[in-house]
Amino acid sequence: MEWGDFSNLQLDAVREVGNIGTGNAATALSQLLGRAVDMGVPEADLIPIYELAGRYGSPETPVCAVLIRAEGDFPCNLIFVIDEGAGQELANLLIAMDISTLDPELQIQMRDSALGEVGNIILGAFLNAISMLTGYVMPASVPAVAHDMLGSVMDIVASIFGVIGDTALLVKTSLQVKDVECEVNGNVIMVPDPGSLETLLQKLGV
Amino acid sequence: MTVAQTIHVGMADLVAVKVPSLLVTLGLGSCIGVVIYDPRNKVAGMAHIMLPDSRDAGAVLKPGKFADTAVPRLLQELSALGALPSNLQAKIAGGAQMFNIPGKDSGLLAVGARNIEATKRWLAHFNVPLVAEDTGGNKGRSIEFNVPLWNLSVKVLGVGVKEL
Repeated sequence: MEWGDFSNLQLDAVREVGNIGTGNAATALSQLLGRAVDMGVPEADLIPIYELAGRYGSPETPVCAVLIRAEGDFPCNLIFVIDEGAGQELANLLIAMDISTLDPELQIQMRDSALGEVGNIILGAFLNAISMLTGYVMPASVPAVAHDMLGSVMDIVASIFGVIGDTALLVKTSLQVKDVECEVNGNVIMVPDPGSLETLLQKLGV
Repeated sequence: MTVAQTIHVGMADLVAVKVPSLLVTLGLGSCIGVVIYDPRNKVAGMAHIMLPDSRDAGAVLKPGKFADTAVPRLLQELSALGALPSNLQAKIAGGAQMFNIPGKDSGLLAVGARNIEATKRWLAHFNVPLVAEDTGGNKGRSIEFNVPLWNLSVKVLGVGVKEL
């Protein structure tokens, strides 16, 4: 199946997977932080991979990205992307103590560890939703954290879709943490391995 | 010398020029930015390579997408603008692996290393000397190639700019 051939019904099904996944992720994040978390309406879009770099913002925007890789019945990569500033804010919320007097290198490690854990919980909840919906078993890797340009993160997403075609089917959802001084908005991007989305759609019966 | 035009080379794009230009690619991750130029005839080109090998794919809509199609097409376009094969030089940047999952080789995430290898192999195949490179590592890069100063500046977030 070429990526462009997905029907509206199938896109709706993928959107619904994103919806349930994000709902789970929002609940998990809310429990972790003890704060209200809002979620946006998920988007499932077919996008030419060549337009991905600038699709969600300026390519040089500094972002923090957490990636986990799921294997098993539905091999895919899940990526949680958040503006660098908001990511630091989120890490501080989780650490919940003043670490500014510590060694700078140690501060970075603590924030990265916190961000990895946030990503792990959000993306793990997302995976669990897919698993409950389908009965799939999808063992997940530990999280990998990167601080980089938005364009570079999307460059990798584009390469994975680029292996089999020229279009990406991207599920993107947003999470917003409430009651904090700085606005914390993050996006979850689901990147199925080449060919694995078809398996998921078959399982969903569309 | 003033730079007359800035050209953004997007994913899988391929551009060749004969006039003063700034060839720019923002946010390279695992992809490769390759420039090939003939300083004597003042001709240069850049390609934004995404994947190593077109034989893994079906149709090739954009030759700039794969190392094995981008390098020959770029050479063809440079030659059409008057470049001579014996004058050509190349510089490359990119091919990072930004996400490292401990204990996993994770094939699709490690495409950067294969991109570097394939791009070098095709440059060597066409006898284009690689005079400078900034490749691999775990950070994304933005690159600018100045025609006709022939310097490739590579910017890494949080690290700075280096000139190749």
